[in-house]
Amino acid sequence: MLTYITKRLLRSLLTLAIILTIVFILLRQMPIEGYFANYDKLSKVQIDSGLSQMGLDQPMPVQLFRMFRDLFKGDLGTSRIYRNNVPITEILAPKIPISLKLGGLALLVSLTVGIPMGTMMARHKGKFFDHFGTAFVVFIQAVPAAVYFLFLQLYGTELLGIRMLFDPNDWKMWVLPVFSMSLGNIAYYAMWLRRYMVDESTKDYVQLARIKGLSENKIMTSHIFRNAFVPMIQYLPTSFLNTVIGSIYIESLYSIPGMGGLLVDVIKRQDNAMVQAVVLLFATVGIIGLILGDVAMVFLDPRITLGSKKGGR
Amino acid sequence: MKKLAWMLILVMLISLATSCQPSSTPTAEDPAPVETPDEGDEEEPVAEETNALGDSEAMVYSSLYSGEISSMNYLIEGATNEQTVGANVIDTLVEYNQYGELIPGLAESWEVSDDGLTWTFHLREGAKWFNHLGEPVADVTAHDFVSAAKYVCDPQNQSGTDYMILDLIQGASDYYTTVSEYYGTLGDTDEKVAEESGADFSTVGIKAVDDYTLEYTTVDNYPFFPTCLTYVCYMPAYGPLLDELKLDFGTANDRMYYNGAYIVTEYEPQVRRVYEKNFANWDADNVHITKIELIYNAEALTLAPTMVLRGEIDYAAISNDIVDEWLTSNPEFVSKGRAVPDYSYFYGFNFRAASGDAERLETWEQNNWEPENWDKAVQNTNFRRAVMAAFDRNYSMYALEPDEQARIDVTQRTITPRTFTNVDGTDYSMLPEFDNVDQYFFNPEEALKYKEAAIEELEAAGVSLPVKMVLSYRSDMANWEQECVLIKQQLEEVLGTDFLVCELYGGPADGFLRQVRRNGMYGFMRLNWGADYEDPSTWAQPFAIDDTVRDTDNLREANSYNDMDYLLFEDGDSEMKDLLTTYYAKVDEAKAIADTLPRYTAFAEAEAMLIENAVFIPYYIDPASYQATRLNIFESQYAPCGVSNLRYKGQKVYDDYVDMETYTERFEEWLDKMGVQ
Amino acid sequence: MARFKHPAIERMEEDITKQMAHEMSDVEMFDFEEFDESLVEKTGYSNYSYWRSTFQAFARKKSAMFFLSLVVLLVLFTFIQPLLPGQIDYFVVNNDPASGLPYRNLPPGTSVELMNGTQHTFILGTNSIGQDLWSNIWAGTRTSLFIGVTVAVIEAVVGIIVGILWGYVRKLDFFFTELYNVLDNIPVTIVLILVAYILPAGVGTLILAMSLTGWIGMARFIRNFIIIIRDREYNLASRCLGTKTPKIILKNLLPFLISIIMLRMALAIPANIGYEVFITYIGLGLPATIASLGNLINVARTMMLSPALRYQLIYPTIILSLVTISFYVSGNAFSDAADPRQHV
Repeated sequence: MLTYITKRLLRSLLTLAIILTIVFILLRQMPIEGYFANYDKLSKVQIDSGLSQMGLDQPMPVQLFRMFRDLFKGDLGTSRIYRNNVPITEILAPKIPISLKLGGLALLVSLTVGIPMGTMMARHKGKFFDHFGTAFVVFIQAVPAAVYFLFLQLYGTELLGIRMLFDPNDWKMWVLPVFSMSLGNIAYYAMWLRRYMVDESTKDYVQLARIKGLSENKIMTSHIFRNAFVPMIQYLPTSFLNTVIGSIYIESLYSIPGMGGLLVDVIKRQDNAMVQAVVLLFATVGIIGLILGDVAMVFLDPRITLGSKKGGR
Repeated sequence: MKKLAWMLILVMLISLATSCQPSSTPTAEDPAPVETPDEGDEEEPVAEETNALGDSEAMVYSSLYSGEISSMNYLIEGATNEQTVGANVIDTLVEYNQYGELIPGLAESWEVSDDGLTWTFHLREGAKWFNHLGEPVADVTAHDFVSAAKYVCDPQNQSGTDYMILDLIQGASDYYTTVSEYYGTLGDTDEKVAEESGADFSTVGIKAVDDYTLEYTTVDNYPFFPTCLTYVCYMPAYGPLLDELKLDFGTANDRMYYNGAYIVTEYEPQVRRVYEKNFANWDADNVHITKIELIYNAEALTLAPTMVLRGEIDYAAISNDIVDEWLTSNPEFVSKGRAVPDYSYFYGFNFRAASGDAERLETWEQNNWEPENWDKAVQNTNFRRAVMAAFDRNYSMYALEPDEQARIDVTQRTITPRTFTNVDGTDYSMLPEFDNVDQYFFNPEEALKYKEAAIEELEAAGVSLPVKMVLSYRSDMANWEQECVLIKQQLEEVLGTDFLVCELYGGPADGFLRQVRRNGMYGFMRLNWGADYEDPSTWAQPFAIDDTVRDTDNLREANSYNDMDYLLFEDGDSEMKDLLTTYYAKVDEAKAIADTLPRYTAFAEAEAMLIENAVFIPYYIDPASYQATRLNIFESQYAPCGVSNLRYKGQKVYDDYVDMETYTERFEEWLDKMGVQ
Repeated sequence: MARFKHPAIERMEEDITKQMAHEMSDVEMFDFEEFDESLVEKTGYSNYSYWRSTFQAFARKKSAMFFLSLVVLLVLFTFIQPLLPGQIDYFVVNNDPASGLPYRNLPPGTSVELMNGTQHTFILGTNSIGQDLWSNIWAGTRTSLFIGVTVAVIEAVVGIIVGILWGYVRKLDFFFTELYNVLDNIPVTIVLILVAYILPAGVGTLILAMSLTGWIGMARFIRNFIIIIRDREYNLASRCLGTKTPKIILKNLLPFLISIIMLRMALAIPANIGYEVFITYIGLGLPATIASLGNLINVARTMMLSPALRYQLIYPTIILSLVTISFYVSGNAFSDAADPRQHV
């Protein structure tokens, strides 16, 4: 197990390098004009000098080598367009904690609501609570987030008597963004947990447990839930990342200075160094999340093995 | 309203005629604001070494913004959004007042030499630089203007506005080239120091004669030169700070000094930006808002109107989609902005789809736009005139401005906007040289006549009908897209789909100009240009022959607007070639004339040629959008060029929002006051 | 081991025993037969039909049938609507004959005179440049459904193939996991922008851009399931008995996954439609001249604040929600029905 994780981690470094290289190559396909706010009025000399400033006049392998060299030194680079000449670490530093806090809270809320909800729905399959839960899940799935987030903000703030924009120092202002962000995940967890649990509940080992005379509660929690939770657990770390990245709507609506919209923003503005830094950050979190997910799955279900094993194909 | 517009023109003519002489600021009696201006206004001039910040809560203005600035470095940033900071925190040598007159700023007076080349400015003493905490740092001297100009002319700083100095100031262009060539010899990691190139900035025509005397020497006789000085690249900056920070200048609010009406006390990108009044400014009495709070919100367009209704902010743009609704249900909140003639929109034809650019040809063919056919058709004057005569500008503008009168007010007959400049009491756009242009605008009957004539000629030239005309727009701009939908339907209705079929093409939001306009991905498109200074030559700039190949991969030897100059280098004779030869000769001729009337007449003649031959179709100046605001916009500075329009100076926050009635009243009052000048 | 026997197989075995007992005489029963492989196959696939049972189970659910018919009707109607009499093309700007200007923001149900002199009732009103919202919504639904279905199919085909190989063939696990890590971490926005930069904006481009990255999710989803079940006892048994890998995949694994795949696909369609709304939101969607639900909703978002104009947002949202609900409910029901254990 430990060797497997170590191997995976080492391989991840290679993966990261490949990701960065591909992103790097993709970024170099972007139009030159995007690097200048006022390309129209610049002379050739200015454009050339601008490109050389950004190191864009060099052959691609040279540029690539430079990027990795700087990264190796722990230098993420400097933003050029997003915030001219400001070190990227300085830009990201205040944003990361906000996103972590927001994403963490949202995940916590969605787990504490979504899991009991899915369990209850599976348990009362076909009864009122199941229908009620399904209606909720369907509603969240059906109405576009762009619409119900806005709706929640407009009427939520009115109902709670608070201002429309986010203020990190006022706990009341965290309620609506966190709630909005967790809605989608609540529905997601509840829906899939219900599905897996219903699938599990017809299996023979459950029937055996029933025959053995175990209480329905015990069957649910220690048999069905545990088995049904296996496929879910793998997505947890990833879904945290997705929550953070997916908060773009919420961040836009409430003026939250987080990471959600950052990637889209810097890509559209062609701030290459920023894109690379943010991709690196997200990819690292994503890959670690993937490993954690796999490991968690193995812990929950001993039947699952990772990697190659003697006698296996 | 129509009357008003004409009065406005008249008034502008009179006022602008005298605008080059320094005159005292008109002290108009403003309606007393409900909130009393801060007491700091009445205090004795702030003693030396005291902090420039004061009670900032006296008059607060807050608003949302959705586009973040990339830096506050006013010496290099080229876009309006970024320049707004410089406009409010840095004072210029001269400025405009609220009636469009040029008045003294940091310069108390100025004079020009007899040959018209040397301008001498006498600076106000006692103006100071402050840091972001409001602590005084140094005096503002003539040297600060030289340091700033040197910074702008250093190629490594990549100023987006340096052309305004390079083109106008003696020696600047040579200096730039020398330094640039020297940089070219350096390695990537070498430190770049302009002095080491051997170029000497003292050869450039910007000199500090003494601490308070500044001298500019221009390349040619430019009577409009003082109007250039309201632009960002002519702003001062504290030299030692520039030397210290270099490219870091203006990247944070503690990385620059302030000498203007406001000081940026908070700058947190994508969060908020706060300006506080500089009570120690030489003109602090005319600065009324004590604090401006700008809050970042990417959804500002959607949220701001509701936030205004809830009293959380003081300004919201009311988009065209919802304006009818607001005028009915919240009329007490809605007013308009003031259309400013510093930016002109016009429709133009692309003259090169297929010739000499394989990549472009391929894209056109991929889209099935019939490039060869288009190239032939567009060179036909009757074809273009048919389109021009069929083009109902009033109808297409409906996508932007629902009010009929407002549409009429902003519609232009010339590319140079009405009230932009004038000569001997006549507005430039009303010069007799333009007498013939009106007959070519919208007239369905004439359009059909041109169509008949065009069909014959086009068939003779081997053009297959209907001609496919590509209408391009930026896909993220809903109004523009709707405008194109209207134009397509309207043109096809008048000319018939047997003659003309319009294809709509939504260009990408990112890199739109390069991909669509510069790349020739359009047949007929709305183009625009903003004035750099108060002279008609500024409006000929976009069509000038571009004889520098900037990037062989992407650009050609042609102007970036419509590629028409490319035709000059084509083999054989053509109608267009003759027209263009005459046009460019006329522009060159006009540029060489120093006297205002003949100079303007010559430029007008050239411009009229383009319009009469339907090369360009004048369209509008941006119709001022609807807004909910607590400011009285007529208290702000008014200018046909430069950044003065972006200033908060002079404005007050009132208790009530402005409604259309008050707006109209104030507008008339403003026109009256202008009439008095 | 018996504990883990597939219920369907158990039932089949019972059927076979019963049949034999009923139809054959004692003598025949004890006769020796030559081994005939075709006969083995024949008895192995007796009267149990997986798909028939699935459909029967599905048809028993009234709500599912209702929503399935709703989907079918919606899809049909998007095609029929333009052919109905008195319809105005979604793109046409309707002008007021009196002023010659577009009828902007007409409330639903307004009846006005058109330029050609006829009277027309705008069922859902008009938008801000006087286009018929009714036909826009149907045209938009058509486009969005087309995008949603096409992308879902591409994703499913590619995703299933890759997912099975990835999950079952251990040698490929390393390769695919790394490929996934790489592809999943390349921001979709970059791909979208670059595709938009290279190809002209349009439905095809959007489908390409969405499918370029969309299959990864499906592949990983399948892979995780395969990993969970590949070492279950019945698969071990199959392997011990020397069954070839392709056969194990096709006969042992795929049927097990069908319910999950169907659900996933049924959800992918509305998800893709929703994704289109998101792509439009970040400014990389279809050109606004092509009606799509994403465009309609995005343009109308500002109008949520204006009670009189809210209808321009509400109607497209309702249609989008109906499509989603229909796919969700019928997908879930189908997935239930497709589970062989439910065929009792």
